[in-house]
This record gives sequence, C-alpha cells and structure tokens, in this order.
Amino acid sequence: MKKVLLSGLLALTLGATTVLAGCSNSEEATTNENGVIEITLWHAMGGGPGKGLDAIVQAFNDSHDKIKVNSVYQGSYDDEFNKYKTAEGSDTAPAIMQVYDIGTRFMIDSEATVPVQKFVDADKYDMSDFEPNILNYYKMDGQLYSLPFNSSNPILYFNKTAFQEAGLDPNKPPKTWAEVEEYAQKLTKKGADGKPERYGMSMAIYGWFFEQYMANQGGLYANNGNGRKERATEAVFNKTEGTKFLDWWKKGVDAGYMGNFGRKTADTQAAFSAGKTAMFIDSTAVLRGLVDGAKDKFEVGTAELPKTEGAAGGVIIGGGSMWIMKDQPDAKQKAAWEFIKFVAEPKTQATWHTATGYFPIRTKAYEVQELKDFDAKYPQFQTAVSQLHNTKLTEATSGAVIGVFPEARATVETAIEDVLLGKKTTQQSLDDASKKVTDAIGKYNQLYKK
Amino acid sequence: MKAVVQPTETVTRMRPKARWRKRIQELLTATPFLVPSLFLFVLFFFYPLGKTIYLSFYLTNAKGVAKHYVGGSQYGELFTSADFLNSLWTTVVFVFLTVVPGILLALLLALLVEKPLRGMAFFRTLIVSPVTVSVATASTIGLLLFNPSISILTHGLSFFGVQDIAWLTDPFWAMIAVSLVTIWLGVGFHTILLLGGLQAIPTELLESATIDGAGYGKRLRHVVLPLLSPTLFFVLVVSVIGAFQSFGQINILTQGGPSRSTHVLVYSIYRDAFFNFQFGSASAQAIVLFVILLLLTILQFTVVERKVHYQ
Repeated sequence: MKKVLLSGLLALTLGATTVLAGCSNSEEATTNENGVIEITLWHAMGGGPGKGLDAIVQAFNDSHDKIKVNSVYQGSYDDEFNKYKTAEGSDTAPAIMQVYDIGTRFMIDSEATVPVQKFVDADKYDMSDFEPNILNYYKMDGQLYSLPFNSSNPILYFNKTAFQEAGLDPNKPPKTWAEVEEYAQKLTKKGADGKPERYGMSMAIYGWFFEQYMANQGGLYANNGNGRKERATEAVFNKTEGTKFLDWWKKGVDAGYMGNFGRKTADTQAAFSAGKTAMFIDSTAVLRGLVDGAKDKFEVGTAELPKTEGAAGGVIIGGGSMWIMKDQPDAKQKAAWEFIKFVAEPKTQATWHTATGYFPIRTKAYEVQELKDFDAKYPQFQTAVSQLHNTKLTEATSGAVIGVFPEARATVETAIEDVLLGKKTTQQSLDDASKKVTDAIGKYNQLYKK
Repeated sequence: MKAVVQPTETVTRMRPKARWRKRIQELLTATPFLVPSLFLFVLFFFYPLGKTIYLSFYLTNAKGVAKHYVGGSQYGELFTSADFLNSLWTTVVFVFLTVVPGILLALLLALLVEKPLRGMAFFRTLIVSPVTVSVATASTIGLLLFNPSISILTHGLSFFGVQDIAWLTDPFWAMIAVSLVTIWLGVGFHTILLLGGLQAIPTELLESATIDGAGYGKRLRHVVLPLLSPTLFFVLVVSVIGAFQSFGQINILTQGGPSRSTHVLVYSIYRDAFFNFQFGSASAQAIVLFVILLLLTILQFTVVERKVHYQ
C-alpha cells in the first residue's frame, strides 16, 4: 500500500513539474519576467572575428534594454547548418543565423527563413548607401533574403622584407600571373638539400580561390547565368578559364616555386607567418591576424588578386549574412531585425572592419573617424575595398547560386588535388568534377524545384 | 559454444510433446529477463537499421525526410562510382595498416611489461596511458605533429637526415599519418587486454616448459601464444571493427584528402549525410558497411576461431 502511495505521489510531482515547465516555457517564448525579449544568434566566427562579433553583441545589449541577444558560436558553417536541423522549432532554436554566402540558395530552399525584404519594406529602411556589389549577392528575383554582415574578397599577401631580400621592390607587388611567376622564382630560397626553405608563392587548396579565379576571368561556374536567371541545372566550370588557372597553378608547384600546404587555409597562413612562403592568397578577413602575427618579424603587404593577361578582373563577394528564422514568434523576429540593423550601422561596421579585415557593407562607414584613423595607420586594409569598388558587376562576378555549393566546392578541391598530384590532367579532372556537381544539382533540383 | 548446445541435447532425448512443453516453459521464464535488453536492442539497433534500409531507397531533403522513391538505384550508383570503390579500397588498406601493426605492437609491449620487475607498474601505466586520450585530442596533437610548416616531428626527424615529409599533403604519407594516430590511440587498450591474457597463463606450464629445456622463443611460440590466442582473437575482432569505424582522426587530420586518399567508408557516409545532405546515399553506404562487417565477423568466427585454443 505504501509503495502504491509513494509511486502515485511520485507520478503526481513529475506530472506537475512537467506542466509547470510547460507553462513557464510558453511565457518565456516572447519575453522574460522583466519584459526583455531574449533571442539567440548562431554564428560561425571563431578566433579574432569571433571576439569582434561578441563585442558587437555586447554593445547591442548595453544599448538596448528591452532586447537581449545571446550569441552562440557553432563551429564551422556546415556544423551550424546541421545543428539547426535538429534545433528547428525548439526552444533552443536561434532567431538569427549568420550563414556563409554559398549557403544562400540552400537557405532559401529550406523555407525556414523570412526574407529580410519584408522588414526592409515595413520599416522603409534606407539602404541607399549599401554597396551594390554586396547587396547583389544576396538578392534573388529582386528580393533581399538576408542582410550582409561580414563581406570579404581574396587578396594577395606578400612579405615585404622578403621582397627586399630578393631585390624586388616591395611597393610594386605582382599584378599578373606572369609577374607572380617571375617574382615567385626569385623569392624561392632553396636549402642545402635542394628542397625549398621558402616558397615564392602558395595557395591553399580551397575551392573559393577557384571560384574567384573563374569570376576574375569572366567565367561562369554554373549555367543559367550562374543560377541567377533561373535555377542552375549544370556545372560549367570545366571551360578554358578553369583549366588555364589550374595549369598555371600546377606549373608553379611542379617547378618548385609554389608551395602546397594542403586544404586548410590556416596552414598556409601559418607558413606565411613562419616565413615559409613569401606570397599567398587568402581572404581579407585574416589580414588583422596576419599583421599582428608578423609584427616584429616582417612587414605584410597586400595587393589586388593578380590577373591573367586579358582578364576582365573583379572578384565575387565572399563572407556571410544574417538570416531571420521563420519558426520564431513575431516579437522575436522583430527583435532580430533590430539587432541586424544595429550590425549594419556605419559605426558597427567600422569597428568590425578594424577588428578583422572584413570590409564595411555600406559607404557611410568610411566617414567614421575610427576607420579613417585605422586605415591611415594600416594602408593594407584598403586593398580589398578598392578591389571591391573596381569590380564590374557581371553574371560571373555576382557569384553562382546553387543549392549544393558546399559539395561542389569540396568536389573542386579534390579535383585540384588530383591535378597537383599528377593523377589527372586538368581537363579530365575538371570534366569529372563538373559532371559530379551536375549530378548533385540534378538530385537537388528533383527535391526542391517547384 | 558448448554451454549453449547442452540443453538442446537433453531436449532432443525427450518425447515430442514434453519437449514442446518444456520449450515453451523455458521461453516463458526467459522472456521477462530478456525484455529489457530486447527493448534496448529494438530501440537502438533494429529500429535504426530498419530506418536506414528504408532511407536507402529514397532521395531525402536536408532534414533527412524521405521525399522521392528511387528504388535500389542508390546501391547501383555506389557500385559504379569510382569514388565509392576507392573508399572501399582505402578502407581495406587502412584496416590492414592499423590492425596488424597495432596488434603486434601491443603484443610486444605487453610482453615487455609483463615481467614482475621493480617499478614495472610505472611503465605499465605509461604505456597504457593513451587509453585515456580521446580521438579528438589525439588528432589535434596529430595536427601539430604533422603540420606542414611548424611540425615538431619533421624537425626531430631532420636530425636523422630525414628530409621534409609532406605528412598531410602527400597521399601516401597522409594514410601513414592517420594510421599512426589510430595505432597510438588503440595500443593502450590492446595492451591491457593482452597483459591480462598473459597474466592468466598458469606459471606451472611455463616452468615445466623451462625444465624441459625450452628457451624463451620456444616457450613463446608453443606455450604463451597458444594460450594467449583467445585474447588475441578478441583483440583482432575488436580492432578490425574499430578500424572500419574510424572517423574522428580522419575528419580532423585530413578530411579524407588529399585527393581522397584517406576517404574511408565511414567518412564517406558522414560526408554524404551531414555535408551533402544526401541521407539516402549515405544510408545505402551504411548498409554496405554493415554487410561487410557482418561477413567479416562471421568469417573470423568460423575460420580464424578454429585456430584459437580454449583451455
């Protein structure tokens, strides 16, 4: 009898606590006891940029007493995606997600987001001074889906001290592929065993660089105008622009003046900081870290992405943007919009730029004194900005929009490895890769095309 | 094996009717004892297995929801895909490179620290210590050791005249690097098992062999190894399955590269499911892996086990 009583009691308490928990949850859904709306931001910014973003969140929370943003670092962008799938619709789901550029098509197709256009229209939000090249990336069918936050493009980094050592003018960085070749040969230093102690030039095996060089030469990555006129159905990067770039790369690696430090961009950065490569290509977002890291050892120079002869030039905007999630109640979505607007403010963008190297998404940020002072001190930071402004907007430089972009990028990376390791010819390798990506696009479209 | 066979032998000697009654009775007694484990099995094994088989016939969306029935075509695609066949081959190479040297090393270490010498406990602890290291930690240490520009390992080797090894950027060395980390991770556990096996060998047998004039080599070959064979067999089965399922070290060290040279089956499943969001194709690969492991385990229990000497 005692036992029955006990278990009955136990069941009752359990039930009661569950009900209570349920109650408090539904109340918490919009505001907590002080009338503050709490929202969660998921992002993929680690290291320096992570600290920069946390500072922005802190500044927002300090200046808004009715909204509290909790920022959560979720690892890489891919990890972030995966975690979202399991969290969608639950209490822990974010109201804002910072997602990389190439996730755009996928985010739209997931139907889990509210286009920010809705809030722009409702608020009559003035976007006249936003960089058109950046906005264009996140606009589809005249609709802005997410608000750009961290924008970057690739630049050439070089070791000015090594330039002087090799008898090169550190104020005249190479502009063309031929010049890179010539400079790199001079900068390569061989040890007693004949193995390079310092390479002249290096590139991480990163699909983004391939995409940039396709655009730089005016080549398309996917059909139907890079998937912007209509949904892409085919990958088309196996044309001359692709093979030409890989041929140039392979030639350098084979001749020993270009280093191969693998896929991780961090490893090539480490090689540059350790003096094992005199030049390399990477996103402008790592500039601050490199400049700080090389402080006492050598001077870091930056230049626009070297072009091949006759190329139109220009780059695709890389980086990420902020998305507002659909499963959140209206009040939280509005709070999320407030935060996103704060992030886009000229002052925030100026601070962000100086903390990382990502460039401001709007021109008004250049009027902020903090940014003016900073860029005077570190002129290297202007390279990416002028490169952005010099880019002519075309289908190629708008960047491709395909749902399977992360997979496509990884496939291209394998193709580059196959070429550099001599397993396949450039043409064969890119043909195989584009066929694979076309298959993946086909499967994707079968699921999402309306 | 024998313990299981005996009751059936007694059952067959009875009359058919009584036999059935006895069986049902046994089953009724056994059921309540089996329910908890059956429940767990169904929940964590049979249900996921069924779901995986189901998904392998569909194209799924990014949330893993089956959307589009495609029949067995994903299995067909697998066996015509050069990438998948490469993954299979890579897995075989990886298993071979980790299991054989791994067991030999563990055996060697176990034999070394088995002797009851003064201070041996210290060395035992030292050798067994990798047991406490997680895959992620070991791989991160590996990343530093194998770093292309600031590698301690390469620096250390340079004193022996070894030239720069492109640990993670050369297909051959990438496989070696991943295998080294895997062996290191497993060696502690395998040594514990083998050490236990060694200490269970009755000393009388070794002593009488010594009196008969057998040297260390003869004792090892004719006494120690046969008596250790049940443990060795267990270590073999466990490490083969473990090697097939290795994932963390590959994900952290090489991401299957360069040029898919370390793209083992489990990593391929992970990429398809959680990176390419093709749960259907990933499920088909998981079923293939399951069948391979099943066949291998059956093979080990039928062929290899015959060589095992149980006391």
